[in-house]
Amino acid sequence: MKLRKLWTGVAIAAMFGGILVTQPAKAADSSLVIGSVLDIDKTDPHTATNFATVRGLGLVYGSLIEIGAKNAIKGGLATSWIFSKDGKTLTLNLRQGVKFHDGSTFDAEDAKASLERILDTKTGAAARANIATITSIKADGRKLILNMSIPNAPILAALEGVNMAMLSKADIDAGKIGGSNKPNGTGPYKFVSWEPTQSLKLSANADYFMGEPKIKDVTIRVIPTEASILSALNAGTIGMGIITDPLIARQVKSNLKMFKTPALAYYALQFNTKVAPFNDKNVRLAVQCAIDRQELINTALLGQGQVTGPITSPAYRSDANARPCAKQDIAKAKEYLAAAGKSSGVTFKTLVTSTGWATSVAMAQNLKAQLAKANITMDLDIVEQATYVPRWLAADFVATLANNGGRIDPDTMYTRYFTSTGNLNKVATYSSDTLDANFIKGKASGKVADRKGAYTAISKELEDNAVWVWLATPYEYRVATKKLRGFSALANGSLLQLRSSTLG
Amino acid sequence: MGFLKRLASVLTTLFGISVFVFVVLRVIPGDTITSSLGIETGVLTPEQIDTLRAYYGIDKPLVGQYLSWMASFLSGDLGFSYSTGAPVWDLTRSALLVTMQLALFGTILGVLIGISIGMFSARKPGSARDFLGQFFGLLALAIPGFVLSTTIVTVTANKFQYFPNGYEYMTPFEDLSMNLQQMLFPSLVLGIAVAAPVMRTTRSALLETVDKDFVRTAYGKGVKPRIVRLRHVLRNSLIPIVTMTGIQFGYLLGGAVIVEKIFALPGMGRQILDAINKREYATVQSSIMVFAILFVTINLITDWVYRKVDPRIK
Repeated sequence: MKLRKLWTGVAIAAMFGGILVTQPAKAADSSLVIGSVLDIDKTDPHTATNFATVRGLGLVYGSLIEIGAKNAIKGGLATSWIFSKDGKTLTLNLRQGVKFHDGSTFDAEDAKASLERILDTKTGAAARANIATITSIKADGRKLILNMSIPNAPILAALEGVNMAMLSKADIDAGKIGGSNKPNGTGPYKFVSWEPTQSLKLSANADYFMGEPKIKDVTIRVIPTEASILSALNAGTIGMGIITDPLIARQVKSNLKMFKTPALAYYALQFNTKVAPFNDKNVRLAVQCAIDRQELINTALLGQGQVTGPITSPAYRSDANARPCAKQDIAKAKEYLAAAGKSSGVTFKTLVTSTGWATSVAMAQNLKAQLAKANITMDLDIVEQATYVPRWLAADFVATLANNGGRIDPDTMYTRYFTSTGNLNKVATYSSDTLDANFIKGKASGKVADRKGAYTAISKELEDNAVWVWLATPYEYRVATKKLRGFSALANGSLLQLRSSTLG
Repeated sequence: MGFLKRLASVLTTLFGISVFVFVVLRVIPGDTITSSLGIETGVLTPEQIDTLRAYYGIDKPLVGQYLSWMASFLSGDLGFSYSTGAPVWDLTRSALLVTMQLALFGTILGVLIGISIGMFSARKPGSARDFLGQFFGLLALAIPGFVLSTTIVTVTANKFQYFPNGYEYMTPFEDLSMNLQQMLFPSLVLGIAVAAPVMRTTRSALLETVDKDFVRTAYGKGVKPRIVRLRHVLRNSLIPIVTMTGIQFGYLLGGAVIVEKIFALPGMGRQILDAINKREYATVQSSIMVFAILFVTINLITDWVYRKVDPRIK
């Protein structure tokens, strides 16, 4: 009797053991699974703002202009372009033989319809403001002609990315964009399926204009914590991971490959210059002088970042040393406080998101500790991201710690914040005639050398007045199996390099 | 009459929950538009915002919105998720299966572990084995689920290259072996959390029962000690254990959120959390109502089990 029980126990244990140790075969060398904390949240590229959506749809859709290695502007679906002498007309020559995933041919009519959709206020396109100077669009054979109200050279950079995706005119006319409609782009990967909160599946586009990608299948799988993404990488169940937390990035060992590049995004302590105490420039400068940016990076960011000024666009990067109190100067901070009539110190509340990015609260706490040395008391008002955003938009803060997206061109990066008519000027809370004039000057030429003076002046005005305190830029991390070759991380977070990567 | 009273109480509770969830969602700042477009909402014109508010159905008066949602919910239409373009019921159906399976496995493991250790402890109160059992109970209560989950994931992935949850989630019908592997560790984490209170309840209930006359009589009749412990002592101690298990199962449904996150399981906890962040009112409201109905049903079942365990309870 006892023996029978024993054998039954052994049989059951063997059965469960067998079930549990059976691991599925690892993915083939032509398939890549990417782990991401965030899921995409929509399939309409023109209204996409979520990082994960922009990243995922960036493999499906193409744009006229692309950002290449070293952040240089290069042709995408447009192969070349020319500005008229007065800078008000841009003619783009479109690539021939490009097909949408449904087999139809991409032409100037599709490009025209796509830009018109972005310009249509009903679309709610995320990047409409960047091309709002376009007054009319003409499709002429393989040429696309953009007429603008003012000379606007930076519009080239504005034509880059998912928010400027080229869609099929037929799809636009039929209202088949977003929702449950299957995305139909010209990108290196075709949309296969999207299971919300689980995965986005893509397959190689055999008709892609650069040739069919070698990695045939890409799955972006939602793994809701970065620690689990790293574990999945270590276990070999995924081939690449999107990491934003420097703490996790530091745990990556030599069995994996780390792709790291300074991001265009930046952290800043934004002031509301319309309300006390920051309506006083001296108080703002006092805060600026009391902050040691490198200490912030060393502690809250675990050394994973770079000190930055306002402009992070590589060709126009602000000189982080050309600012009042480039290094922490507590005595100077107290002088500024005295000049503001607040020798005994100042207290203010800072709006902080608890879920916006991994290091937000740690950064805020470090700043609070640093400012205390100069008799500045920074109280923290910590809220979750979905609460943070509407308050940020309404400028419902005295100060706020922000992680703002950067752009390859300083015009598209800051026009909306710091020109008097900018859509986000209410949030920036600062504008001036000189800033307006310098932004117009910056648009007039397409050459970096001609434009640099205008953006240096903009950067200087913003920092001399301590409009905000620009702190640091983080890194973009991609961690992958060592089998991945030919990939490089781009500052804008794009995964487009997968089109020319291989596994194995 | 008792049944009607109970039903009325259940319906009142569900109505209260529906109003509470509906109001709380609208009191917290932000809406579907700001959470969908983020800071880019700032570039919209007032007309665009009005158009979007009408599109999302959040331009109507609150009472109208509530009645419209309730009418749809009662007719079986749980609403529509704007971000995914899918009916809420489709999302809920698959997520509910995951959470129910997780909670069920967690409860089964928790009850097995908890009752075993509780019996082990209660055999000799005050002895070393009792101390060991109680130590386990305290430890299981003290270790937060996310610490245990992260430790398990890190150790198994780094040391043994084993992390089945890194693969695509499989339902039991798609791939039973993979499903069991993906459920094993999360269920264990939840099971340990359940085991602690069950163990403590079992121990005290057994100690209370073991001195009863009928137990002494059974021993006096010469019944084997193992049989006395299982058939007489344990059986007569089941009421508090069933109560505790019922309560814990309810908590597990809600408490699974963190475990679902760490083990990448697409369950209800994750779905509700995502929907709250996106301010997807229909998804949050309907998912919570489904949860609430489930919770109430489990309580009713627990009451029914009481009667089965102890026919004296009416």
